[in-house]
Amino acid sequence: MAKQWQTFVGKFRDMREGEIKIFIKDLTPGPRKYDTKFVRAIVKRSKESLPDGDILYIRSESGLKSPEPWYIKIIEELPEYVPGKPWEDVFQAIEKIENII
Amino acid sequence: MGFKDHRDFFELLEKEGELLRIKEEVDWDLEVGAIGRRVYELSGPCLLFERIKDYPEGFRISNGTSGTWSRVALALGLPKSASVREIYKAYEKGLEKKIPPKIVRKEEAPCKENIMVGDEVDLYRFPAPMIHEGDGGRYIGTWDIVICKDPDTGWTNWGMYRFMVHTKDWLTGWPQSTSQLALIFKEKYQPKNRPMPIAIVIGADPVSHILATAPIKVQESEVDYVGGIRGEPVELVPCETIDLLVPAHCEIVIEGELMPDKIAPDGPFGEYPGYRSGTMCQGVAVKVRAVTYRNDPILTMISLGTPPDDSSIAASLTAAVSMKRGLLNRGIPVTDVYVPPEGVTHLIVVGVKKGGIDIARRVLDYFTTRRVMTNKHIVVDEDVDVFNMGEVLHAFATKCHPGRGIAYEWYEGRANSLTPFYSPEERRRLKGVSVVFDCTWPPEWPDEIIPVKASFNSIYSKEIQEKVIRNWGRYGFK
Repeated sequence: MAKQWQTFVGKFRDMREGEIKIFIKDLTPGPRKYDTKFVRAIVKRSKESLPDGDILYIRSESGLKSPEPWYIKIIEELPEYVPGKPWEDVFQAIEKIENII
Repeated sequence: MGFKDHRDFFELLEKEGELLRIKEEVDWDLEVGAIGRRVYELSGPCLLFERIKDYPEGFRISNGTSGTWSRVALALGLPKSASVREIYKAYEKGLEKKIPPKIVRKEEAPCKENIMVGDEVDLYRFPAPMIHEGDGGRYIGTWDIVICKDPDTGWTNWGMYRFMVHTKDWLTGWPQSTSQLALIFKEKYQPKNRPMPIAIVIGADPVSHILATAPIKVQESEVDYVGGIRGEPVELVPCETIDLLVPAHCEIVIEGELMPDKIAPDGPFGEYPGYRSGTMCQGVAVKVRAVTYRNDPILTMISLGTPPDDSSIAASLTAAVSMKRGLLNRGIPVTDVYVPPEGVTHLIVVGVKKGGIDIARRVLDYFTTRRVMTNKHIVVDEDVDVFNMGEVLHAFATKCHPGRGIAYEWYEGRANSLTPFYSPEERRRLKGVSVVFDCTWPPEWPDEIIPVKASFNSIYSKEIQEKVIRNWGRYGFK
């Protein structure tokens, strides 16, 4: 069975396909459930586009779950944080490091 | 003398029928949160979950330590039947005296019974609950005390802020960017790009947690007031890896550093206004350096949400008394201030000796000058019991002139971004608006034209009132 992950976005339409950097939470049951990883990964909306991908559930800023999951293939695990100042928007901080590369 | 720790208090709660031990195994993943939430909504007891799925025996979770007025009364040494007015008065009196803390040795501190340092740190050894379905993660810090210090003056601040397990040795959290913690960080650590030592204390004595919700003035330490209320100094012990002192008898201490140059997602979280309203990914990241904890630790939780719960009850008490002091310091003729728990510190009732729209505007100014946590303010005459929301609503309905009796003020950069009715853009900019409802008679009206309230206490003479009361039994009433 495919491994399951979860991520949060502001609005569902903020989620984009392709190779991205993203914080994800591990939904594997047990005492480490919801552990966070920051990864470089390929994400796709449909399973057909990423047949060997894991399942990625999307939740909005209010915690609402998107009816349909996405799919994710992790390329690389990154440090568990992103460079930025306290109270800075994490999504904008991720955009900054993506633009640098 | 007050309670030294969480466990002393539980003994009393148990004697008073205010504690339920749940021995059935429960899941930290949503089940404890759901039980806790339902119990709040049924005005039920404080809970101690004694068997948690995935965790060894002894690792426990509590919920609702101060979730009702009766439990707050007991925490303050009052009978559980004390009225809200009596609880406010006792707390207000307690604040008149400060007793500095006492430093004890490590050997005398139960919170040092177990120590994890550096690479040994693993937050997943604790059953941090997933409280609400759809939250951003497992919140280990809800009913907590977050301690930080001004390195120049030595001022130590205690606050209550949410903290979520990010990984085994990182936390993320959301002290508001206008909080005293943020003030210390932005003034003293950020300019030097230095991490700020921070301790997250879980499961201290009940008064310490209640005071952590209090808006105590800058440069004044909450722990001195806890000592004053308890009538004895709080025993503190030095941390293992950072220069901070923590309550020696608490259950768990997480020692860490708030990083000046690293961030990670926090939230969303079902917050104290009773909604999960989109505040996320704009917080802080803490690298955990050590965790110390008692044997058989109790992780204190609030399944936060719609009132009442520990947050709305404790903040009702601590915020109101602080507001009353602040308004009196500004020369406003305040008789009482009430923060109804149902209003989740968004709605404030202020009783005044003499009202009018000018006084109401001065009340509004007080609430909007600095960081603004409130937005609706009802000003009533002193004949209205501010603790009786029936009387307050009656005054609002009948005395507030919709044209002349309402004033409001917009501001930016200091609003409470947890306020559910603000748009996402307003939340981002901390843009807000506050209103005052003047429910008093205009002071320029002569006495002879002021409508007479048709209540027993106000429309009849003393003689008639006394006669009716004297004869009450003879009329056949029991």
